Amino acid sequence: MHEAPKNLSEYRKEIDKALDDNFLRRTLDTFAVAYRANREAIFKEVDEKALIKQIADAKDDACKHMDELYEQFRAEAEKRGVHVYRAADAKEANEIIARIAKENDVKKIVKSKSMTAEEIQLNPYLEKEGFIVDETDLGEWIIQLRHEGPSHMVMPAIHLSRYQVADDFTKVTGVKQDTDVQRLVKVARVQLRRKFLAADMGVSGCNFAVAECGAVSTVTNEGNARMVTTVPRVHVAIAGLDKLVPTIDVALTALQVLPRNATAQRLTSYVTFIAGATECGSASDGKKSMHVVFLDNGRSEIAKDPLFSQIFRCVRCGACANVCPVFRLVGGHKMGYIYIGAIGLILTYFFHGKDIAKTLCQNCVGCESCKNICAGGIDLPRLIREIRARLVDEKGDSVGMLVSSVLKNRKMFHNLLKFAKFAQKPVTGGAPFIRHLPEFLLGKHGFKALPAIANESFRDRWPRIAPRIDKPKFKVAIFGGCAQDFIYPEQLEACVKILAAKGVAVDYPMEQSCCGLPLEMLGQRKASLQVAEQNINAFDAGAYDAIITLCASCASHLKHVYPQLTENMGDLHAKAQAFADKVMDFSSFVHDVLGLKPEDFNNSGEKVTYHASCHLCRGLHVKEAPRELIADAATYVPCAEEEVCCGFGGSYSAKFPEISGQLLENKLKNVAETGATRLVVDCPGCVMQLRGGAEKKKMNLKVSHMAELLAEQLKK
Amino acid sequence: MAPEHQQVLDTFSANAQATTAVVTEAPNMAAALQYVVDVCENRPAAELLADEDVEKGPNGPNGVPTRVQRIIAAPDLDDADFEQLSGICAEKGFSCIRQGMRKHLAGIEVGVTKAVLGIAASGTCMVDSDNEDARLAGMVSEVHILLLKKSEVYPDLPSVAQKVRERMNARPATYTTFITGPSRTADIERVAAVGVHGPLELHIILLED
Repeated sequence: MHEAPKNLSEYRKEIDKALDDNFLRRTLDTFAVAYRANREAIFKEVDEKALIKQIADAKDDACKHMDELYEQFRAEAEKRGVHVYRAADAKEANEIIARIAKENDVKKIVKSKSMTAEEIQLNPYLEKEGFIVDETDLGEWIIQLRHEGPSHMVMPAIHLSRYQVADDFTKVTGVKQDTDVQRLVKVARVQLRRKFLAADMGVSGCNFAVAECGAVSTVTNEGNARMVTTVPRVHVAIAGLDKLVPTIDVALTALQVLPRNATAQRLTSYVTFIAGATECGSASDGKKSMHVVFLDNGRSEIAKDPLFSQIFRCVRCGACANVCPVFRLVGGHKMGYIYIGAIGLILTYFFHGKDIAKTLCQNCVGCESCKNICAGGIDLPRLIREIRARLVDEKGDSVGMLVSSVLKNRKMFHNLLKFAKFAQKPVTGGAPFIRHLPEFLLGKHGFKALPAIANESFRDRWPRIAPRIDKPKFKVAIFGGCAQDFIYPEQLEACVKILAAKGVAVDYPMEQSCCGLPLEMLGQRKASLQVAEQNINAFDAGAYDAIITLCASCASHLKHVYPQLTENMGDLHAKAQAFADKVMDFSSFVHDVLGLKPEDFNNSGEKVTYHASCHLCRGLHVKEAPRELIADAATYVPCAEEEVCCGFGGSYSAKFPEISGQLLENKLKNVAETGATRLVVDCPGCVMQLRGGAEKKKMNLKVSHMAELLAEQLKK
Repeated sequence: MAPEHQQVLDTFSANAQATTAVVTEAPNMAAALQYVVDVCENRPAAELLADEDVEKGPNGPNGVPTRVQRIIAAPDLDDADFEQLSGICAEKGFSCIRQGMRKHLAGIEVGVTKAVLGIAASGTCMVDSDNEDARLAGMVSEVHILLLKKSEVYPDLPSVAQKVRERMNARPATYTTFITGPSRTADIERVAAVGVHGPLELHIILLED
């Protein structure tokens, strides 16, 4: 039912198959676009950021008091006639639930949706024990009929078409079923009503376990949880210990975000709180036999971890999958194990083990879309990187080690890059793309032309081009980053030209090296910290008004990750923070600080569109400045899905070229539809991906860095 | 009524209607009960989704028999209101019941129950369904009608936290539901559909106090 990829090559074959599933692709495309718009509209009515902060704080606090909340819940629930259990692991939880069923002479069980029940694989266990188990959530029932696992936490059957569902319903009813969705829903209405009536026991999940009154709650749209918890004489609710909250207020706060984030609803049709064993007409004593099983399965240990405990802010809304560009391409069966999406990659590591997680957790492009919308404000991309680092520590990675040993030695790395420029000569034929490298060497990279190493790096040009400014208005240093230093030095030159023209003194500290993000993505924590230290020491942060970088990924890494990496490291942390405080992206500097205006440019009138790099629009929340700058220098034409990832993701495009290539394809299609002749971006990584793609497709499209466009149009 | 409260009511109605709930106003209980009976009269007979030992009419749209004797369930109405409803039902030949819902889980035409309070920000009604018959009436009826006092509509979820707490502690064992529109799903191809397990329609009658 649930399969985990054993290794990268096998995983990539599976991904290839998913990419060929046209129905899935179309469905998830439509969904991604509709979800984004609907979510935005429904959040306008509330203070999104404030609510997310409230949820994060409340759930962090609950996590710190997990054991006390459990005891409080148990006391309150027992007072109200409920039996409460605490299971150490999946096996024990399954055994407890089967025992409850046996002791109550149960034969038939109906279930409403529970990810925790999926986590412990409850259904197969109960079936093995001889019970008949029926899912009653429509989507869950459909996938149960097909012996599949859910492909989304909220919409478990989103990968299936009405035709597939009609076939399944035809089989189960023995009557040929229409493919009309409304009719199919009613088939389920009839079939499942009979199952509710025949059941002896209902199993539900639990969204919030409210300690102050021993209440369990369910959040549904169909109303099946109310049937499951009402009609049969026995009710078992299963909840992770992380579902414990102190008060009703916390649950009500979270309920303002959960449905909005999950399905863009103000509230789901039914939210139920059950506090105590209520009256029950089918029980011999007129009272429900009610049981709440709490699952630990590693939770109480994770709760003590200062970083990872934040995973318990998750309210299982599924939004991290909804906005994930990878999920959109391959669907939940390939973007998770039992838990799906970004949180799924993390939970899989903790709940189902590193062997199952090790390949899956490589499949994050690092675009930060999920972090931006998470109901609990979980820093999902960071946690995924942390898990990669843990996996490297535990299991090792020979390729990553090699990259590490090169990158952490700046001189060796830079010499290698310079050497590469000679080595590549025969294949580039002097052109700025590696055009003639045989396809088999490119492997699956065939979707884009790869750039060549520049003849002369920026650092070698610097002594010649460094401007001398008398009485500078500002003093800045440039952080070049590998891509611009060695592949696109002209982008940095364009930046220097603008800064010099506007009276800004510029430095280029020579000891700077790779920012370290590629190492983080490979889980090479030690080397990543070493290069961070090298860079922090290379810049005398106090001497500059700003440290400018033209690479959005470097900027976001330097600004946000350096202070995290050096946490608890005393002086180094203080230096990292001082350094980070000065880091600024190019567009923000020239727009917000220099205050460049339309008058500073000869507007070319050229139709120019924009790609918002992930690490700029989400990593640094820079949105207006680049668009206004384009409009200052040319005619800005907006592009559909401007803020969706181009698929580069550094080493991601080497690990998952099929996905990277497809993201690029989608991006270029949207760009082509704008009719623009130029595409501007604020990141050399995106330039590499997009220029390579446009070249490969022979598009009439110039791909430029923002600095290049502005330098060209700057008034003399 | 204070203009601010009228605004809360307007928001409530708009948000409830956005979930396809039908919102109506009644000047008094008699008018509300008449509305309930009219709803029952103006719709097709309920389908029997499961077997029930009862007289059966022709098959409904889903290929199962329909009820001949129509049923309105009103388990949590006050005695006087129930008497009055029973009277109107008798004139129409409808059965009006207060208990025994478990005998009719195959489906009934109309369930009418009281809402404790309303929440404007989402068009939600909170219902006390400790009484199992009241709970079932809101689940297995094709049309669920909620009676909500205008004075009991509040702006948003946080503003009712204390009332929810009191409600949940009112008895040793409580079952409280927030209802926002009819039973719905989008589990097949994300196509919206109502009436998966519960009511096909939700009506809310706003009552003057």
